[in-house]
Amino acid sequence: MYIQIKDLCFSYTNQGDKTINNFCLEIEQGEIISILGESGSGKSTVLRLLSGLETPTKGTISIGGKIVTDDRTFILPEKRGIGMVFQDYALFPHMTVAENIQFGLKGYSRSEKKKRIDEVLELVNMEKFKKRYPHELSGGQQQRIALARALAPEPSLLLLDEPFSNLDADLQIKIREELKQIIKKTGITSIFVTHDREDSRAIADRIITMRDGAAHEWESLCTVRNTSNTYDYEMEIMS
Amino acid sequence: MKFYRKLPGYMNMWTVLSMVIVLLILMPNLTILISFFTQTTDNWEHIKEHILPLLLKNTSIIIVVTGVLTILIGTSLAWLISAYDFPLKGFFKWGLILPLAIPPYIAAYTYNGILNYTGIIQTTLRNDYGIRVDQKYFDIMNIPGSIFIFTLFLFPYVYTITRAFLANQSSSLIENARLLGRNAFEIFFRVVLPISRGAIIGGASLVLLEVLNDYGVVKYFGVPTFSTAIFQTWFSMGDLNAAIKLSATLMFIVFAILIFEKVLRGRKKYSYTTAKVKPLTPIKLTGWKAWTVFFYSLLIFSLGFLIPFIQLLDWMFLTFEKIASPVFTQLIMNSLLVAFTGAFMIVIFAVIIANFTRMHKSWLSKSASRITILGYSIPGAVIAVGISSVFIDIDNLLFTFYESFGMEASLFLSTSLFMLISAYVIRFLAVGYNSIESGFDKVGNKFTEASRMLGMGMTKTFFKVDVRLIKGAIFSGFILAFIDILKELPLTLILRPFNFDTLSTKAFQYASDEQIHEASLASIIIIVISGIAIYLFHQVLEKEPK
Ligand SMILES: Nc1ncnc2c1ncn2[C@@H]1O[C@H](COP(=O)(O)OP(=O)(O)OP(=O)(O)O)[C@@H](O)[C@H]1O
Ligand SMILES: [Mg+2]
Repeated sequence: MYIQIKDLCFSYTNQGDKTINNFCLEIEQGEIISILGESGSGKSTVLRLLSGLETPTKGTISIGGKIVTDDRTFILPEKRGIGMVFQDYALFPHMTVAENIQFGLKGYSRSEKKKRIDEVLELVNMEKFKKRYPHELSGGQQQRIALARALAPEPSLLLLDEPFSNLDADLQIKIREELKQIIKKTGITSIFVTHDREDSRAIADRIITMRDGAAHEWESLCTVRNTSNTYDYEMEIMS
Repeated sequence: MKFYRKLPGYMNMWTVLSMVIVLLILMPNLTILISFFTQTTDNWEHIKEHILPLLLKNTSIIIVVTGVLTILIGTSLAWLISAYDFPLKGFFKWGLILPLAIPPYIAAYTYNGILNYTGIIQTTLRNDYGIRVDQKYFDIMNIPGSIFIFTLFLFPYVYTITRAFLANQSSSLIENARLLGRNAFEIFFRVVLPISRGAIIGGASLVLLEVLNDYGVVKYFGVPTFSTAIFQTWFSMGDLNAAIKLSATLMFIVFAILIFEKVLRGRKKYSYTTAKVKPLTPIKLTGWKAWTVFFYSLLIFSLGFLIPFIQLLDWMFLTFEKIASPVFTQLIMNSLLVAFTGAFMIVIFAVIIANFTRMHKSWLSKSASRITILGYSIPGAVIAVGISSVFIDIDNLLFTFYESFGMEASLFLSTSLFMLISAYVIRFLAVGYNSIESGFDKVGNKFTEASRMLGMGMTKTFFKVDVRLIKGAIFSGFILAFIDILKELPLTLILRPFNFDTLSTKAFQYASDEQIHEASLASIIIIVISGIAIYLFHQVLEKEPK
């Protein structure tokens, strides 16, 4: 398995209930996974744990056979090679579109940088907007730049946190199709979080449902049942 | 929680530097607390029996009365300005903050100069009307006089915090009360006072801490309090240990006030977190009501700013040619030098600690942030005692080291500007920190996290992203700290190197030597710079989208 998450536990406060309790998930290379769940069920938290922005209290995460989190190891977020598209995009307001994308291109020569910027901008159909600042873009355009920025350094895993939540309904359907094309084109392993079942069905190869509730309800259903039928598959992590 | 799991996230330069800075801040304060329980001194018994009761009595009287008066004046003005329209209200709104630009010690000798035998009031009465007055009615060099000064020049702390609260938070409650037909006085006492309790207490505790910090006013007026007693035992009696014991006692009083504030204020912070706040719609006053409110505001503004400022201007024109000299230029340079260096260090330290505390939400970062702002509550005299003992200890340790360099001075560090700057940093770090922390708060962590997901470490992220986004907050932190240092008196007075004078120490010395007129130029410079800064900040705060 390309990505293995085992027995992940986490809580934001020291006492209190666990936000994430014995979360398990395995993902194959190139798969597009959707995590579906109600607000507050811990979807964003799973992404934050995967990316290294939070440290789990228990559990193991490995990506591409390399352990990034366990009792002894903790790889810092900047060393994990994971791309992330944030819910509100978090484009740097003091940089142009090109500068935003270039930001993650470490170890590229100048001409390589330029080439890569053009490549990803073409991928998201935004070649004309290179010189603009984020506040001069519409919501949908910002979203595409955020995607381009995350893809530019060629991450091994792409995380998207509610990529459509800031878009109006029409745009959402259009962009959802586009997003699927782009991700498929790059062949990158992706996890995207949403609370919209339609989004999940439209894009994902496999849907994981997260439910808030008593912590141990997830424990026993840790194994992934497999099926060839991509779209209609759903895994309930419920007792 | 398994701590070792979190360890890798903590292992960076920011954590290490923050811990070092926090320890440096803690050291002088800990020295005082520890010596309080360990060192003994013969004088202490004597002081405890004969002086301490007087100090406690004076301090309590001044604190309690000043507290009550500043609350009355500050809250009433805040309420009038927020709830009503009357002539010149727009001006008073920020004009009533201006008394903060005049440091109380400057106000103290200005008022004494106005009221004493040779002052403008008595000479006018004598020369123009032939009236000779009983001096005791014009003597303000006593406890009531100190309370008068503290009240007039510190009430803006209560006023600004309460006004900000009333402007943003209270409209629905107050408008409901209005609809229910309550009259103005009922609304003030039954609604406004209770709901703004937290803000009022917050402002009042700032006032009390400033009063405890004061040295200039009580020294000039000859009122024995802790600050003056600490200096006296230290310098006149040469008993550092007794000074430390007094300092520790004063520190306990400060802690008592801080705890008292927490308890009184309860869990509530100054503000509720309602998403949309509707500002209170002011009612237009007419007729005698409008003029009563106008004259009340004008009275406080005149006493707290206009009168002393005009008097100082008058004295300045009298003495300008005598005072303005190369020596005076040197004073300005010295003031700018220490204020600039101090504010610069404060901003750097504050940024380091703020960047650490926002990244980690743990007891460690919470304590770091508490300790960082602690210094602002500790009176200058206490910090001076603490930091001197630490530096003298360091000098003693380094004694052999100095010798090997063939240096004469055995007290190298403890007589240097370095010690003074360190004291400023400890005392005013909170000013820079609060500003920068709120800057980080406003921006949030998302850009930082985005940058780290793009492969930048904490430090690179800081320089490429964070600094750009909070430069406004860094700048305001710098300016605020700069002004505070410029006005500062007790620390500068004690810890400055021999023959090193700043605007504030020189002004105070002139005044203490009965050369009140000569003190005016330095005072005016301090007041004008502070006034401009206050005005700018007021403008910025008003414009800021809420
Ligand atoms: N920084 C935080 N501090 C404390 N608790 C938090 C924090 N962030 C999230 N939580 C809590 O953790 C739980 C899971 O939050 P999370 O953001 O992962 O939910 P989510 O599934 O992404 O919800 P949404 O669909 O609304 O984005 C919630 O109960 C939330 O209140
Ligand atoms: Mg979320």
